Amino acid sequence: MGLDGLVLFIAGMWAMILAVAAFLVIFVAPLEAVLPAGRLAVSAGQAAIAIVAVVMLVLGLSRMKEIFLHRKLGQ
Amino acid sequence: MLDVASLLIYGAAVSAISFFAILLMMPAAIRSLASKGRAVPDAHKRDKPMIPRPAGPVIMAGIAAAEIVLYMLTMNIAVLAVLLSTAIAFAVGYVDDSRVMPGLFKPVALLAAAVPIVVLDLFVGGVHGDSLNLVFGSVFIPLLYIPLIFVIIPIAGNTINSIDVLNGVASGFIIIATIPLLTSIAIFGSDEVFLAALPLLFAALAFYRYHRFPSRIFPGDSGTLLLGTLYGALAIAGSSEIIGVIALLPAVMNSFLFLASVKRIVEHRQVKARPTILTDDFKLAASTDRAAPATLVRLIVVDGPLGEKEVGYRIFKLAGFTALLAFASIAIQYFVLGLG
Repeated sequence: MGLDGLVLFIAGMWAMILAVAAFLVIFVAPLEAVLPAGRLAVSAGQAAIAIVAVVMLVLGLSRMKEIFLHRKLGQ
Repeated sequence: MLDVASLLIYGAAVSAISFFAILLMMPAAIRSLASKGRAVPDAHKRDKPMIPRPAGPVIMAGIAAAEIVLYMLTMNIAVLAVLLSTAIAFAVGYVDDSRVMPGLFKPVALLAAAVPIVVLDLFVGGVHGDSLNLVFGSVFIPLLYIPLIFVIIPIAGNTINSIDVLNGVASGFIIIATIPLLTSIAIFGSDEVFLAALPLLFAALAFYRYHRFPSRIFPGDSGTLLLGTLYGALAIAGSSEIIGVIALLPAVMNSFLFLASVKRIVEHRQVKARPTILTDDFKLAASTDRAAPATLVRLIVVDGPLGEKEVGYRIFKLAGFTALLAFASIAIQYFVLGLG
């Protein structure tokens, strides 16, 4: 009777947060140097990509939650 | 940038003010609230004893005294922004303590707590950086950063509010989560915001003495919202947003599971199917009702009933684990940024 499942779940959340953070730093941040558009347009594009990335993170966490709850609570 | 002597003297002063103000004022507050009948039943105890509530005004007084002294010593605008945000969150919580408000009240009203951070930075400057600190580097997205502040503050406040389910959990959890946050602000933030974060740790330490199992007073919404909002405001002003989220993960997970279960923003009291049940020997057991929301406590007791104190310690163990993850993230950021 331990916390192993919860610890693994939280570690998974942490890994996914770091993965999204790395994606934003590696691929989204440099866009302002690559794209020819104006500062505002580039910022809007970066914001849109960042929001999509966070939505994907939430969907991923939601899927992970479903698997976890199914195993723990049978829900 | 402050010199070492100023850091030590100011740090000792604000820590002592917040700690001793709360430690010394709380017994009188407990007596005063009890004499006025401002108490609620402790639902997980035999005989359901009446526990005075809220402790928010005393916690706010201790933190405000420390932050006002710090502002007068440093005249740093970030300290003022953090204090004003915390005061607004306290006011929102105090309204919720005084009368029954709808479920959407707290998250919507807490948007106002983000205003001082945004407005003071806009008109004076120096409250927060322009970039989001993302462990592997910073991302400069001005269009995203301001709206993000309006997301972080209500989430931080409500997250601590939602984990205030058992004796001592909210205050103990804040103590554990604040340690990596302080470390991150010390490395990546400013000296003044680091000093502004000390009253959060010392206020929570002083309050824990009265809130720990068995509680002598409950924080109320005013107490939990101000602690959570102060935590969020410090993470923003101290360039430690992601580290702050990581240290809060068990509480974030609790809110996420609850919201995903009930699929709307409601108060816990509005949910008919309870996530846990109380056994005859006053232990917490997981509800077998499929309609009951999934919460952190329900998952902790799913393998078998546990006493309230034991559940609290297990939440602290999880908080300790996420504090280690936050320290690992600080280490990654430290070496990625080439500070090591």
